[in-house]
Amino acid sequence: MPDKLRLMIIDDEPIVGKRLKRLLEKDGYNVEAFTGGTPALEALEKQHFDIIITDLMMGRIDGMKVLETAKNKNPDIKVIIITGFGKKETADEALNKGAFDFIIKPFKFEELHKVVKKAETELKAKDN
Amino acid sequence: MTDDYSLIPTSDSRILNSHFHLPSNPQNIVFLKTGVSMQLKIWHKMIIGITIPSLIALVGGFLTYGYINDVKNRQSFVQLADDMKEHILEVRRNEKNFLLHKDIEYYKYFQSSVSILKNSLSNISPQTVTEIGEDNFSRLRQSIQTYSGSMNDLYVQYQHETDVVEKVREDGRKLENFVAAKRSPGELSMNFILNLRRLEKNYMLFRDKGSYNALDNALMQIKNIIPFCFECMPYIEAARDLSEAYNQSDLLINDLQVNGEGLETITYKIASLERQKINSFLGRTHNLLLLALLLLCTLGPLLVYKTATYIVAPIKRLADITKKISEGDLNLRAPLKEHDETYSLAQSFNTMLDHLQLTHQSLERSLELLHEKQVEAEKRASLGFLVSGITHELNNPLNNISLTAETMKEDLNEMTLEEMKDYIQDILSQSERAKHIVGDLLEFVGTRKTTVMEKLDIVNVVEESIKLVANQLRVNNINLKTNIPNMVFFVNGNASKLEEVFVNIIVNAVHAMKDSGTLTVCVKPDNGNKNILIEISDTGCGIPEKELKNIFEPFYTTKPVGEGTGLGLSVTHSLVTKHSGDINVRSRVGEGTTFTIKLPLYEETV
Repeated sequence: MPDKLRLMIIDDEPIVGKRLKRLLEKDGYNVEAFTGGTPALEALEKQHFDIIITDLMMGRIDGMKVLETAKNKNPDIKVIIITGFGKKETADEALNKGAFDFIIKPFKFEELHKVVKKAETELKAKDN
Repeated sequence: MTDDYSLIPTSDSRILNSHFHLPSNPQNIVFLKTGVSMQLKIWHKMIIGITIPSLIALVGGFLTYGYINDVKNRQSFVQLADDMKEHILEVRRNEKNFLLHKDIEYYKYFQSSVSILKNSLSNISPQTVTEIGEDNFSRLRQSIQTYSGSMNDLYVQYQHETDVVEKVREDGRKLENFVAAKRSPGELSMNFILNLRRLEKNYMLFRDKGSYNALDNALMQIKNIIPFCFECMPYIEAARDLSEAYNQSDLLINDLQVNGEGLETITYKIASLERQKINSFLGRTHNLLLLALLLLCTLGPLLVYKTATYIVAPIKRLADITKKISEGDLNLRAPLKEHDETYSLAQSFNTMLDHLQLTHQSLERSLELLHEKQVEAEKRASLGFLVSGITHELNNPLNNISLTAETMKEDLNEMTLEEMKDYIQDILSQSERAKHIVGDLLEFVGTRKTTVMEKLDIVNVVEESIKLVANQLRVNNINLKTNIPNMVFFVNGNASKLEEVFVNIIVNAVHAMKDSGTLTVCVKPDNGNKNILIEISDTGCGIPEKELKNIFEPFYTTKPVGEGTGLGLSVTHSLVTKHSGDINVRSRVGEGTTFTIKLPLYEETV
């Protein structure tokens, strides 16, 4: 396992990708941002990612589809859902499908940062 | 049956209403108007219908029987009269025999036949006498009496006549002897006497005036020959007495015959009177039978028809009302005006209907409640959807602002001025985005300030809207077809809002067609130039039927986030409504969608 964890950010709001990429890279992660689910799934086919941070409502390929595809490919992958659509039923569905956590927009970066750290800890613990 | 209805609640229906808690408004209960109702039961009506023709037949029969009975009685009277006539003929035969023979035997026969006649008369009952006529009988009795008296007189006269004849003969013989003894003067010859005696015999034989005149002349000659012939005188006297006796007898015979004929006339009259009565009775019987037959032939069928109609009418009325009720008018009730067996039928039927109406109303109420609950549930779901939509749409720009601000705060020292400007611009545009969402929302709920309306050419607005999206159409390789008349159609509206409407719909159409297709825009007047129709059709993917009903709902979208807020069509709908217009959509999956916007044309009074 390389030193730097590979993070994928998917959101159809480009600003989200841009801002999170900058902040997370400062924390030492290798981050790639995608606008929309389709290019993200293509990248997931070819590359390895440890953590996915994805929006939920994104046109044809939504966050739920990304979660299912990613979990099918790599059950260890940590998928963190971020959404402006804060319904409990949606959160429950995502968690049932194996999402690592569910964060509601608007959020403080610190909040996301903690969840990513927790995911990293779990990943490292599993490796060890 | 008439279609004329009257609104008459009956006491029965009120009782039922109160019992079953039906709406007590009497106007709700409608009754069929009935014609003249008879207070008779069906079997009464049937009995009347059968009895009246039977009574006609019976009365006719009885009267005919009475008349025939009378005829029979009269026949016996005629027989009686005929019998009497027979007796009288017998009496008259004896009368003739007596007149011919002047014999006591025939006189006795005559008297015996008169007694038989009298007996038969006295044997007739007083009732019969009254029936035939008292006057005729008393006349008959009197005539018999007179007739019989005449016969007695005649008998006595005949005895006297015999004596006179004997005296004439004796005196004749004496005169004959006197002349034969030649004691008389020579003129009174034997020949003369013998001639005289011949004339005397002739007179006795013929009893006529000629014979008497001849005899009388001869007697006068005696007086001329011997003026004082004492021997001749008794003979002359006797001859004169004979003439008197004969005259007297003739008078009596005449009386007798007149009386006899009178008797015959009376009996003939009685018989003929009775025959006349019989004929009159037969005539009346004939007429009566004819009348009864006529009545039976006319009144009989009429009564049978009327009876059938009276019996069937209430049943028919009931059938008519049941038909109307079966067609759905549960407020109708069978009329309770009949007094026959259909009354209880109608009553039961109405009770059944009351139950049915009650059940119907209860079902309708349940349906209403169910519908209210459904509407409530839909409202809640709709509100939830709305809130979720608002949350989602607002949280995204807020999140962007928050993340950008956080990044700036974190990296402020490392950031170039350009980067900072970009970041601030992001914050501003995301704030603008949030503001726009709130604006749309306010537009939708209609709390925004009043839109300025003015007289404007809708064709121009449509054309301007097409220009606005022309570039987008080109980029997406979409063919544009327009059918816009080269005319001016004014509407009362706001150009920018109407442009927003058309652009919204066209942009939706472009999204539905993706990279190729045909957009058709058509403008045409409608409803006798009162409205204008703007039809915008695409050849896109279409909208499934289950989604069609939601497309004007706020925050309802099938598009990816960022491509639409879900407020576009709801705002469009709201704007069209503000222009007193109407928007409709029809769509087939795989074929395309057509939006039709109907706007009222401008009127000077607006």
